[in-house]
Parts: sequence; structure tokens; C-alpha cells
Amino acid sequence: MNFFKVFFLFTIGLLHLLGCAGVKETVRDNTSLEVIDFHIAVLPVENLSGKPAPLTEIRQMLINKIKILGLDILEDEFLDWFMEQNRIRYTGGIDSATAKSFKEEMGADAVLITSLEFYDAEYPPKIALISRLVSTGDKPVILWMDGTGLTGDDAPGILGLGLIDNPLVIQDNAIINIAVSLSRYITGRLKNTNAYNVKFRPRIYYRSPLLHASSEYTIALIPFLNKSSRKNAGEIVMLHFAKELMKMKNFEIIEPGITRQSLLNFRIMMSSGISIADTDLLSNTLDADLILTGTVMDYQDYEGTWGTPKVNFYTLVIERKSKRVFWISSSDNRGDDGVFFFNLGRINTAHAMTSKMANSVVKIMEGR
Amino acid sequence: MNLKKHLLILIMASLLSCYTRVYRDINMDFGVVRTVVVMPLVNLSSNQMAAERVRDVFITMLLAASELYVLPPGEVARSISMAGIQNPTAPTAADIIKLGNITKADTVITGTVKEYGEVRSGTATSNVISISIQMAETQTGRVVWSASTTRGGIGITDRLFGGGGKPMNDITEKAINDLIHELF
Repeated sequence: MNFFKVFFLFTIGLLHLLGCAGVKETVRDNTSLEVIDFHIAVLPVENLSGKPAPLTEIRQMLINKIKILGLDILEDEFLDWFMEQNRIRYTGGIDSATAKSFKEEMGADAVLITSLEFYDAEYPPKIALISRLVSTGDKPVILWMDGTGLTGDDAPGILGLGLIDNPLVIQDNAIINIAVSLSRYITGRLKNTNAYNVKFRPRIYYRSPLLHASSEYTIALIPFLNKSSRKNAGEIVMLHFAKELMKMKNFEIIEPGITRQSLLNFRIMMSSGISIADTDLLSNTLDADLILTGTVMDYQDYEGTWGTPKVNFYTLVIERKSKRVFWISSSDNRGDDGVFFFNLGRINTAHAMTSKMANSVVKIMEGR
Repeated sequence: MNLKKHLLILIMASLLSCYTRVYRDINMDFGVVRTVVVMPLVNLSSNQMAAERVRDVFITMLLAASELYVLPPGEVARSISMAGIQNPTAPTAADIIKLGNITKADTVITGTVKEYGEVRSGTATSNVISISIQMAETQTGRVVWSASTTRGGIGITDRLFGGGGKPMNDITEKAINDLIHELF
């Protein structure tokens, strides 16, 4: 056991060093590491960017990096056969039946679900990814979840020496970030950030006094109502909330794939938001104490060199027993909020900004 | 005397930038109002999303005031559909009574976004919002409270120094805060 810990620490250090130096080929070729008895199925990458993107390449790069961590990845042929047999077309989540089949038919211990939030190969290249590891079996749960959003001009440095113009390098860096975070989960060294950034706290919020900081809640997330011009913004913001809620001790998240299946089963359409009757039905079916949803008004990433990301959303949480609103908030930020000199503190992706905004919402909601 | 004149002008100028008018039914006991339905607002501005943006901020601020419980927008949409209301932005007294029976709400709020967005005057630009809100009780369908407010617009500093005025979200919150302040 100690050997494994030392081995993982070494791997994390190696990945960090390679991430900084920008030399990634060595990582890809280093496949001589010992394999752990934990089988993972890596699902095809879900494209939420609304544009064409190199999904196959991203997935393959991700598999290569995970293999270095010593995890056993199920072969593509088996996965394709399984998906064909079980008629799985949706790769943004798994429901209970699929999770059970993954365990019984494939012997997979977990499924890695990756969503591509944003991709732009034009200078400066940009990428945003969200990944989660979901257990298989009778009751699938999210084991780990993290995301990354990078642009080529995140750290220009002196004389622009830090600028990155190759989209492959950005892709590689993003996937290394994901792999490092996953390795931290496996080695039990996940970061626990205590404070939220005041700049990204919601502008207005209501928190019910009945929402106890000491109580534990099971929470189901429903895609936000998308009123922005960005395709799939509702799903993206929901994933950010899932990611941030995962960091909290008081919240147990229901895998969004299970929630989606319930919405489909009950044919729940939400053209103007969720009603109390739908909330009641869903929470009873999913055994969830809280239902989190909302509305996305703006979700803008900029393309090309100039621009500022802009995000504006409303968050709504309804409680199961009282059938009342337990939380409502309005969050609105721009990438250049609070930036006065030399672009210090500027945020270049809507991904990074939404993460911070969702983080502050979740922490205030928890009672911090 | 001159000083008094200048002070009067300054007070008038500050009042013009924040202008609120209110009607309040003196026979209505607002203390009994516990649950409120906020209907979709009429949008008379050129911004297509203005009514929804203002409504969302209004609902959040009303709940954040911790005096009233506001039904979630999804539940309101379902109730409108159940009541068969043809025009939810301008419901009749009968519609309001019907909605009250379905939602068990004490009052229904309707409103109009008259202006929302950028205004220009010469070379000066600024953001402006102008909204009016009515509250009707669900027992009789009668309007018991009504208020309108305007925030933002081109002021002296905008004309002299430019700058484009305050952000839209800031003035929206201020305008709604004016209305909520009048309500309580």
C-alpha cells in the first residue's frame, strides 16, 4: 500500500513538472507503470460546445494520461459493442440500468464521463472540459468530478513568452489538469478550498432559515433553463453546480444521468421552469431532499483575441417536504470585474468564472 | 437666497434621476399578504429579454426581503396553464381570482417594463430602466397597490464627462429596491 502511495505521489509530481515544461510526449510514451485493479470505461466525449471539435482525439489523449496513473481502461472494441447492445446514445451521463449493465456485462468499476464545454482552435486557443467518475452497479454515485478551462493567453508573461498558439498544447494541458485531479482523488489528496471569492458571490440571494448548515441533503440537479444565446448553457451551468456541490460535505448529489432518465420517463417538459408538482414527483422518485435548477440569462465566451466572458444566471432550490423555495440567487459577473491594472485577476473563460460563481453560491447555501 | 435656489435645483435634479410614484389602497391590510404570484411582465422595451430579466431580479429581491413568499416561476407557469389564462401579462379580475384559487396565493403582481437599455442624447449615452408594477388581491381581483419607477438616464456627469452610465444590473436592482421599499 505504501508503495502505491509513493508511486502515485511520484506520478503527480511528474505530471506537474511536465505540465509546466510543456513537454508532453514523454507522458504519452510512459506506459510501463503498474496497473491498479480498478476498471474504468471512458465514454465518448459529450460535445456541449455547440461546434465541431476533435472529440476522438481529446478522448484518446485522456485515455493515455489515465493509463499512466495505472488505471485499467476498458478496450474500445468492448465499449463499442456494449453501447451498441444496450443502445446507449447519450454519453453525458448514465442511468441506474446502464450502470448496472456496465458492472455486470463489462466488469467496469466506474465510468468516466467527459463533457467538452468550449473549444476554439483559433488564436488564442481555448478549451474547457468537465469530467466525472461515476461508480457502476445498482446505485451509481459520483466518485470524483472536476473541470478545467484554459486559453492560450492565460499567462502571457514577459514579452508574451508565455503565450500558447498551438491548440494541441492547450488540449494536452487541460487533459493533464484533469488527470492530476483524478490522481489526487485516487490518492485521497483532493484539495479542500475553504473560502469563496467575494467578487463572485451572488448579487442578491435568499436563503431559507430552514436550510440547516449541519444537516445533510441529497440533491438532484436539473439542467438550467437556457435563455442565453449559447447552446447547452443550461447543462453546462448544471455541471458546474454538480462539480462544486461535490466539494461540500453536506450534499450528496444524484448522478445527473439518473435525473435525466427520470425527466424522460415522466415526460417532464420545463419551458418556464420547474413546477411544484414536478418537483414533488422527481424528489419522491429520486429520493432527493432538494431540487436545484435555475435560469441562464447570459453565457458568453469570446472568440479570437479580444473580449470578455460574461455569465449571468439565477439559481433556485426547492425542498421536498415543504415544497417551498429554500434558496434563490442572482449571479452576474464579467471576466474583467475588479480588474484595474495590467489585466491582473482577469478571467478568460466562462468556465473558470462559472466555477467560481457556483462555488460561492454553494458555500453560502451551505451556510459558510 | 442664491444658496437656497442652488440647493433646490440640486434636490430637484437628484429626484429626477430616481422617480417613484405609488398608489396604495387604504382599506387593504398588507400585513395579511404572505404568498405572492409574480406574473410575466409586459415588455415595451427594445430588449427582448428585458421582461424576464426584470422579473427574475424582482422575484429574487422580493424573497430576499424575507417578508413575502414568492411562488417559483415554473409553478406560476403551470398555474397559468391550469387556469387557462389567455393573456398572462394582463390578467382580468376573474383570472386573478381563478389563479388565487389554484395557487392559494394572497396577491398577484403584474407589471410593465417600459424602458430597459441604453439611451442616447447627443454624444452622451447611459442606461435607463423604467418599470411599473401592480398588485391585485386574489379574493376580489382588485388592484390594491401600484407603483412605477425610473432609474438611470443621462445625468449632468454623463453629459460632462461621458462614461456610459451605470451598469444595467445596478440600476435594475436600484429600481426594484425602490418599488419593494414602497411596498413595505
